[in-house]
Amino acid sequence: MKSKSLSGICEELIFSNFFKSHVKALRNFMYYKFGNAEQAEDVTQEAFIKLWENCEKVPLDKAKSYLYTIANNTTLNQIAHQKVVLEYAKAAPKQDKTFESPDYHLEENEFKVKLQKAIDKLTEGQRTCFLMHRIDGKKYSEIADALGISVKAVEKRMHLALLELRKEIEYFK
Amino acid sequence: MSILSRVFEIQTVLDKNPIMEENYTLAKWLNNELEGEELKAFEASDDFAVYQKIKHYSAELKTPDFDDDKMLQNILKAKKSNKISIQKVFLRIAAVLIIGFGITLAVKNFANFTEFSANGATTEFLLPDNSTVLLNSGSSVEYKKWNWNNERKLKLDGEAFFKVAKGKKFEVATDLGKVSVLGTQFNVKNRNKRLDVSCYEGKVQVNYQNQQIILTKGMMVSFENGTQINAGQTDQLAPEWLQKEVNFSKENLQAILDEISRQYNIEIEYKGKLTNQTFSGTIPMNDLDVALEIIATTYHLNVSKLSDSNIVLQ
Repeated sequence: MKSKSLSGICEELIFSNFFKSHVKALRNFMYYKFGNAEQAEDVTQEAFIKLWENCEKVPLDKAKSYLYTIANNTTLNQIAHQKVVLEYAKAAPKQDKTFESPDYHLEENEFKVKLQKAIDKLTEGQRTCFLMHRIDGKKYSEIADALGISVKAVEKRMHLALLELRKEIEYFK
Repeated sequence: MSILSRVFEIQTVLDKNPIMEENYTLAKWLNNELEGEELKAFEASDDFAVYQKIKHYSAELKTPDFDDDKMLQNILKAKKSNKISIQKVFLRIAAVLIIGFGITLAVKNFANFTEFSANGATTEFLLPDNSTVLLNSGSSVEYKKWNWNNERKLKLDGEAFFKVAKGKKFEVATDLGKVSVLGTQFNVKNRNKRLDVSCYEGKVQVNYQNQQIILTKGMMVSFENGTQINAGQTDQLAPEWLQKEVNFSKENLQAILDEISRQYNIEIEYKGKLTNQTFSGTIPMNDLDVALEIIATTYHLNVSKLSDSNIVLQ
C-alpha cells in the first residue's frame, strides 16, 4: 500500500491532476507574498519541478505540504514588493436586484474601486490571509498550514482585515 | 491617514466591542460560522451593510490570469531533460578529476621508465631505492617504479655501472644474459654479441645461456658468441670508463673501434685488412689523438682525419 502511494505522484496523470488542483492557489499565494506575478510563477514552477523530481520520495498525502514548504522557503533576490493588482470577475452577479436604481451601477462600481484601494492598504499578512480566503476559497486551517501560523492567528488577521477594510471604505465615503 | 491614527481607531473599536478581540466575530461571520444571537446582533449593527458588501465583492476578485498548461509542460519537460542537478554536475567533475589523478599516478608508477645516455655522454641516475646507475655512452635502461623495492628488475641495453643498495635481489636483464645480485657494485657491458660483467664489491651471479657463474670482488667475466672467453681480474674499485678510460681485455678490433666511436661520438671508417688480433689494454676516452695513436700503433694503421667527427683508418 505504502509503495503504491509513494510512486503515485510519479504517474504523469496523477501528477497532472495534482498540479491542476493546486497550481492556482499556490501561484496566488506567492503572488500575494511577492506582489510580482512573474516571480510568483517562477517560484510556483520551481516548487512543482522539485516535487516532480522527488516524486519517489514524497507520498501523495504529503505532496501538498511539501509543495508549500518548498515555495515558502524559496528566497529570491526579491524585487521590492509591488502592488498586488486584482481584477473583478466580469460576470458579477447583482447583489440585490430589488433595490436596483439608475445610480446603482455607478455606486457599486465606486464601491469596488474603494474595496481595491482598501485591500491595497492592508498589511501584507492580513492581505495574504484575506485574499487566500476570498479568492482561493481556502479554509482558515488551510491558510494556517500554508503560512505556518495557528488558526487563531488567521482568524485574528481576518478580523482585523475586515475592520480595516470597513474603516478605509467609510473614510472614502 | 497615518498609521498611528489607524491603529488608534482599531483600538477604540476593539475597546467598544471587547468580545471581538477574543472571538474574532468578523472572521467567524466571514467564514459562515456565526450563529444565533451573535449573528442577529451583528446583522442589526450599523456596519453590517458595508461588511456584507465587502464579503460579496471580495469574492468576485481575481488575480491576473496565467497559463498553467504551459507551466505544466515546462515542469514535465524539466524532469526529462534537466535532471542533472548541481550536485550531480559537481560529482561528475570530481569523478573526472579523480580518474585523471589516478591515471597520472598509474602512468607514473606502472609505466616503464627509460633512462638513456647519448653517444659521447654518460648519465647518472637514482633508482627508487637509491641504488645508483651510471650509464655509459649510447646505453639505455628500462625499469618500473611500481613495487620496485620488492622487484628490483631492469633491462639494460649497452653498458652501465651499478651501485646497488642492500635489499632484495637486484636483476639486470640483457639480451644475452641475466645478472642478479644482492647489494654490490658491478659493471655490465652488453655490446653486439659480447657480454662483460665485472664485480667491484659483494657478489654477482651471472646467468649466460645455461651457464651460471658467481663473481666476487675483483672478478670479471666475458662471453662472446656463446662462449666464455676469459675470467680475468680487476684491481680497480670502479670501471675504468668512469675515469674516462676503457679497459679492453682480448677485445677484437671492430669492438674497440665501435667503443671509441661511441665514446667520442664520431664515425670511424676502417679500410684495413680483416684481422683476428685482439687487444688488451686501456684506452683513454678523453683524448682522441692518443686513443687513435694506440690503435694505429698496435695494428700498424694510418690515421687520416677527414673532419673532426669523421676518421678513416687504413
